[in-house]
Amino acid sequence: MESYYLLKTSLLLFCLVETCYGGGLFSSLQQTLAVTASPRESQVLKAGEDSITVTWGLNQSLGPGTDDLYKSVKVKLCYAPNSQVDRKWRKTSDNLSKDKTCQFTIVNKPYGNNQSFEGQIERDVPTAAYFVRAYAYNSAGEEVAFGQTTDAKKKNNLFEIEGISGRHMSIDTASICFSAFSLVSLFGFFLVERRNRRLAKN
Amino acid sequence: MEVPSKTQPLFSIPVDSDHKATEFKPFDLSSPHMRAFHLAWFSLFSCFFSTFSIPPLLPIIRDDLNLSDTDVGNAGIASFAGSIFSRLAMGPACDLVGPRMASATLSLLTAPVVFSVAFISSPQAFILLRFLIGFSLANFVSSQFWMSSMFSSCVVGRANGVAAGWANVGSGLAQVVMPLLYTLIMRFNVQSSMAWRIAFIVPPIFQAATGLMVLAFGQDLPDGNYKHRRRTSKEPKQKVFDVLFNGLKNYRGWILGLTYGFCFGVELTTDNIIAEYFYDRFNVNMDMAGLIAATFGMANCVSRPTGGVVSDEMGKRFGIRGRLWSLWLVQTVAGLLCVLLGRVNSLWGSILVMCSFSLFVQAASGLTFGVVPFVSKRSLGVISGMTGSGGTVGAVVTQLLLFSGSNKFSTQTGISLMGLTMLLCTLPITLIYFPQWGGMFCGPSIEPDSINDDYYLLV
Repeated sequence: MESYYLLKTSLLLFCLVETCYGGGLFSSLQQTLAVTASPRESQVLKAGEDSITVTWGLNQSLGPGTDDLYKSVKVKLCYAPNSQVDRKWRKTSDNLSKDKTCQFTIVNKPYGNNQSFEGQIERDVPTAAYFVRAYAYNSAGEEVAFGQTTDAKKKNNLFEIEGISGRHMSIDTASICFSAFSLVSLFGFFLVERRNRRLAKN
Repeated sequence: MEVPSKTQPLFSIPVDSDHKATEFKPFDLSSPHMRAFHLAWFSLFSCFFSTFSIPPLLPIIRDDLNLSDTDVGNAGIASFAGSIFSRLAMGPACDLVGPRMASATLSLLTAPVVFSVAFISSPQAFILLRFLIGFSLANFVSSQFWMSSMFSSCVVGRANGVAAGWANVGSGLAQVVMPLLYTLIMRFNVQSSMAWRIAFIVPPIFQAATGLMVLAFGQDLPDGNYKHRRRTSKEPKQKVFDVLFNGLKNYRGWILGLTYGFCFGVELTTDNIIAEYFYDRFNVNMDMAGLIAATFGMANCVSRPTGGVVSDEMGKRFGIRGRLWSLWLVQTVAGLLCVLLGRVNSLWGSILVMCSFSLFVQAASGLTFGVVPFVSKRSLGVISGMTGSGGTVGAVVTQLLLFSGSNKFSTQTGISLMGLTMLLCTLPITLIYFPQWGGMFCGPSIEPDSINDDYYLLV
């Protein structure tokens, strides 16, 4: 009897653990936010240099009480579908805890209607095509609604960001110098050995 | 012990009539034999470190260079394909110019390739680079050749096993060190894509340094270097093609190449896929996945030498038959564990099976090179090259067929299928037969006294 009770309790706990780990689905979210971003269609921005302005607010066509539960908002940079092709680490998944579409947070702040934010694009953002999506969270930290700058198929209004290449003259120079040293020392040894052999012969 | 005379050198280690060491003393540096051992394993360690320095930083590199999964898979295959040709070429090169010159030249010529990581900015350049860096793995052949030239048959398995085992640790250590280096460089407020390029300056400096040490402190044979021996030796000068054909027509070289492809080749493939497997299937984080992958590689420190020691012990008691039986047995158990690895569904169960698998598959590699020195004395380099090259062919084939991303089955099914192929491709060991020592199922057919020049005496 007691073991049966223990089993039921532990099963219940496991189920709760599942929901604690955010088993929320993207398809269950309502698209209630209207989001706009400064980049125009197909514009190319530079990571670490250019800045981006995003504005978000409740969709005008919805009633005023819809956003009562929204306590905070996160606005993210998300990969466009053609930047996800053949790249499993950017895969879209309906399970929000496993979804890898939106990997860069532009801003994270308490929710208020009709807010905006301007900030520089982080220098670690890689070269790809993007759109902007905003998630609204309730007081428990769960996603409850979203809005994005593109359509449902993620085809329109996409822009590009050019990442920093990381190549620098100093690294190139160091690399060439070390390589030259490596080759010169190899041939140096050849010459020394040949000379020693010639001396040993004579 | 050799009787000291004016013309014969004294060694601080017991030697046989060929001046090859009959004991293996890893902490003694005074004899040329042990110096050669340390130089061989250390330079090969640096080559493994360079080759496997890229996989742990892939999550950053793939975004920076805009690589796709296909590009990453192709680069992984290219890194092994490069070493197929170089290992085949290294065999005859060792026979010709000696292991010291051959291995140092390779280390010093491939170091600039690793330095060029600083320049790459496209997927094609990345794939080409991994192909060229893979050439450095040919130093495996030169290290095994060098050990077989310095150590007598009673300890050659041990020497080969320890040298290759300690060197293979480089592949595991790279998985831990490179991310740490990258994080350390970023602490100086260096941007991410500059930081990884700077981190790649370290492996080739290490590689070039070991190449120079081999040139400065190493010698090919107990009595001196190859060029010196050629002039004073009474042996007939071997033509290159004689040596090559003699090796190529020996069927045992081909069989060992195949079986090595399915112990060492499988080990290389697992090095490439295991971190991602644990990350994707069991949702561990990147650091934990890297640590698990590193554990697999670093087990080489003990498991491969154990294979070599087992081979020598079995050789002492049962001759070549013992070496062949132990090789077949250990590799078969490794195959069974590989099949099991793909079937286990829990994280800790998988880790446990993976650890056992690593022990057996790496011991099988050590046991293989307990047999190779006995196949041909004249064409030792060619046979070592064929076997070593077979290892990487196995890696390329398993990666292409089972883990290339275009497959319909999951990674865990691929792992089990890999285990099944291992079981099948280990069977040819039963076909290896030495007329004067026998094979797995048959005894010797000729008297040991009537051997010809092609075979060793098993002392």
